[in-house]
Amino acid sequence: MGLEAWLYLFSVLASAGLLFTMVFFIIMFSDLECDYINPIDLCNKLNNFVLPEAAFHGFLTILFLICGQWLTFIINAPLLGFNIRKTINNNNFYDATEIFRTLSVHKKESFLKLAFYLISFFFYLYKLIVALIAEE
Amino acid sequence: MSNNLPPGWSAHIDPSTGQEYYVNSLTQQSQWELPTVQNTQKQRRHLTHQQAQKYYSSQPADVPQQPTQLFTPGIGQQQPMQAQQPIQNLTNDFQQFSLSHPQQQRQSANSINLIGQVPDPNALENDPPMISLPPNATFSQSPTANAHHSFKRSTLNVIPTTQSLLNKFKIPLSLVITPYRSVSSTEEQIPVISDSVISRCRRCRTYINPYVTFLEGGTRWKCSICNLSNEVPQMFDWDPITNQPADRFKRAELNHSVVEFVAPSEYMVRPPQPPVYAFLIDVSYTSVQSGMVATVARTILETLDRIPNEDGRTKVCLIAVDHALHFFNLPPGSTDPNMLVVGDLDDPFLPTPNDLLVNLSEARGAIENLLTNLSDMFQTASGPESAMGTALKAAVQLISPFGGKIMVMTGQLPNVGQGALKNREDLKILGTPKESTLLQAAGGGFYKNLAIDCSRSQISVDMFLFGHPYQDVATLQCLPKYTSGQTYFYPGFNASRTEDALKLAHELSTVLSSPIALEAVMRVRATRGVRMSEYHGNFFVRSTDLLAMPTVPIDQSYCCEITIEENLNVPFVVFQTAVLHTTCYGERRIRVITLSLPTSSNPSEIYASADEQAIATLLANKAVERSQSAKLEDARDAVVNKLVDILGQYKSIMTSGGGASAQLMIPENLKNLPLLMLGLLKNVGIRQSSHIPSDLRAYAQCLLTTLPTQSLIPYLYPTLYSLHNMPMEAGTINEQGLVMPPKLNLTIEKFERHGLYLIEDGQHIFLWIGRDAVPQLVLDVFNLPSLQDLRPGKMTLPVLENPMSERLNAIVNKVRESRRGPYRPHLYLVREDGDPSLRSWALSLLVEDRFEMGLSYTQWLSTLRDKINTGSYN
Repeated sequence: MGLEAWLYLFSVLASAGLLFTMVFFIIMFSDLECDYINPIDLCNKLNNFVLPEAAFHGFLTILFLICGQWLTFIINAPLLGFNIRKTINNNNFYDATEIFRTLSVHKKESFLKLAFYLISFFFYLYKLIVALIAEE
Repeated sequence: MSNNLPPGWSAHIDPSTGQEYYVNSLTQQSQWELPTVQNTQKQRRHLTHQQAQKYYSSQPADVPQQPTQLFTPGIGQQQPMQAQQPIQNLTNDFQQFSLSHPQQQRQSANSINLIGQVPDPNALENDPPMISLPPNATFSQSPTANAHHSFKRSTLNVIPTTQSLLNKFKIPLSLVITPYRSVSSTEEQIPVISDSVISRCRRCRTYINPYVTFLEGGTRWKCSICNLSNEVPQMFDWDPITNQPADRFKRAELNHSVVEFVAPSEYMVRPPQPPVYAFLIDVSYTSVQSGMVATVARTILETLDRIPNEDGRTKVCLIAVDHALHFFNLPPGSTDPNMLVVGDLDDPFLPTPNDLLVNLSEARGAIENLLTNLSDMFQTASGPESAMGTALKAAVQLISPFGGKIMVMTGQLPNVGQGALKNREDLKILGTPKESTLLQAAGGGFYKNLAIDCSRSQISVDMFLFGHPYQDVATLQCLPKYTSGQTYFYPGFNASRTEDALKLAHELSTVLSSPIALEAVMRVRATRGVRMSEYHGNFFVRSTDLLAMPTVPIDQSYCCEITIEENLNVPFVVFQTAVLHTTCYGERRIRVITLSLPTSSNPSEIYASADEQAIATLLANKAVERSQSAKLEDARDAVVNKLVDILGQYKSIMTSGGGASAQLMIPENLKNLPLLMLGLLKNVGIRQSSHIPSDLRAYAQCLLTTLPTQSLIPYLYPTLYSLHNMPMEAGTINEQGLVMPPKLNLTIEKFERHGLYLIEDGQHIFLWIGRDAVPQLVLDVFNLPSLQDLRPGKMTLPVLENPMSERLNAIVNKVRESRRGPYRPHLYLVREDGDPSLRSWALSLLVEDRFEMGLSYTQWLSTLRDKINTGSYN
């Protein structure tokens, strides 16, 4: 297997991981709405995942850049920019005092990310197959 | 005809016309129309309201002002009602018999044109529009079956049946709740139900209230909120004291909308906690020098007897803070406090496991001794550092097993240890879009996280801030905000001025001695289809509909926005607020406040029911929140746009005039809304200006979000009295209490050069003296020979033995006492030809005039009208 195939194999697994993180986020948010969890615990739990998630996605994007996968990089760049902006503005973490007011925004954001990771999962899978076929 | 008059009324013949008129001996009111039961009902409410306000407003009974009526859309619908009048008169008797609410004819909106009208300041504190429930809403005829507006009021007293209808009006639907407003001894006390028979709906957990219906011969009741049929508890008709059957319809919870249940042990997570007070006193150099420490210590010492401690369980602790934490070991029985110093600011620990948090009664001697000597102890030793952040952490650690109240007194920015803050004030960015960053919390989330920890351990924090020149009120107020405390700010405090010391002593001792409700949670329930969507105020939202309040302070108000999720097919909607709390004498109680409002799909009725004061309270809250999350300018724009939307929609729905119009139409009951909004835009918290220090702004914003409506309205539109030419009876006492001079419009046009005026907004009182004041007036009031001897600034009004001085003192005292809450406003003397900064401060309160970039009232109205004309409201 060549470099490209390995890269996409890795990214397929990575995007599956990110996908599950987002599912976890959404489940937690709906738990909050149903009052199964209090906002303080929710924020403490989710905030542990915020930076790893962004960093992992960032790492993946940089990897595409280094490997010269321009199209894949461009697809991922907006989300990377979004994450960087949030980190700079210091509003990437969930705030327990404001969570109920911003819950709908957070949910929407998580759903969009979920969709993005889902699409990229299949896209990477496709690219993986294409790369494998091209090698043979 | 005069035989069947309601009680209190008598008929008289007018000698000039020979016509019969009616006088009510209770309210001193006279009228030409035959008084009916409807009127007396109204009267009774009016009477309780008068009692409630006896000490702050003695304005003459409202004379109904006939507005210039231009177009009345509802008039067409009124006609058939009048045709039914005789039948209605007949049925009136039956209605009484069937225990129903007599009022059923609803108001329709009267349009008036605002342009060219002079606002009436006396109308600002009018009662909200009557709530006219359908006749069968409640079986109880009690006048207290619906909550008084000082406890709970709604922006609309008629609820639209659908959300799309509500959206059309653009009037935000919201409740303004003051669950713990102070009840003076002259008012009717809140009934307490102590027999622990608490009947609640099985499904929605609503408490039984005057709006339920009894089914199956009274063995079941139907919930007024979810319509579920519930069993009536066995002991419901039983009087446990006399051990005899009792009349269920005499039970307080079926007659009063505001009641308190004594809760049995199922409502407790742990045994009722004792009241705990932790005092964190900053003893850094500036605070000791300003006399803050001495004043605070003396005030606490003098208030020790009034701190709620009926059962001797109250616990206190005291930590003095400078560059280190000074704990005090107060062994019971001893009189010698023992000081323990902790210098480790990164990881504070408690120097000894016991005797730091002590029982007030047992360790009284040591506490008294400590408070007496506190100021002297730190007279020389301290520097300019304050480790207040660390001290807060230590205090939370100390009292977290119990919960309670932390009272922080600091005159120094916390600048060492955890949560250290920097001076962020930057004069260059005041008045620019960046200004709002100064109003947001700094400190890297330390104070917000601490607030969350506090809320978890049932601790609330009160901040008494004295810092000069910079205290970072915006950051420190985070703690009170999320722990339902309160922030108090005394800029430039100096105890050598008696006025400063008096104000602090009064406010601190009032806060300390007021009965507090501990470990409380508040929940608002409403009829199915109505959902609480957003909450504003000082608390932590623990779940979608549960507000956590470690302590419930007296006279703090909360807003709760409402959305209508399903079409409402019911004739009326019930809103029930329940506050589960522990009283300071160890009883678990539930305070239940029920408000019932009719529904309608008739726009005219809905407009006629809008409550301008509640709308102003909500919009003030929202404007402050907006200014903290976005820019101050956005907050102001949001207020303007909201008002334009409301008026524009009114124009398009209710008036026939399409296209541009020279008039500005508004429902009569909202006629002061533009004035109040102008006041809000000119308030220190929101106003466009590059001269307002961010501390003052942040503090004004705290007030805007916490003051109950009664105090907020004058804070938005201050009261102006003319004193040199007040009527003879003003300042004297008659049977209704002290007579106040008439209120004047807030404009410089009302000022005469030889006059003496009083402007007050509940937080400050300004005594304005004109440049040509007669020496006799100066002598009578201030005991000084001429105007030139008067020194502008904070002052105490001398009590002299002449009628003018006595009346003036009476008026000033009444102004101070009139409003609920602990505040004791400063009295400032302003000379028209004196100190320009003080003069311009006083002028900034004249809402109807142009000030800096603020518009005058007439300009404001025409701006509104132009915006409506150019908008798409036709």
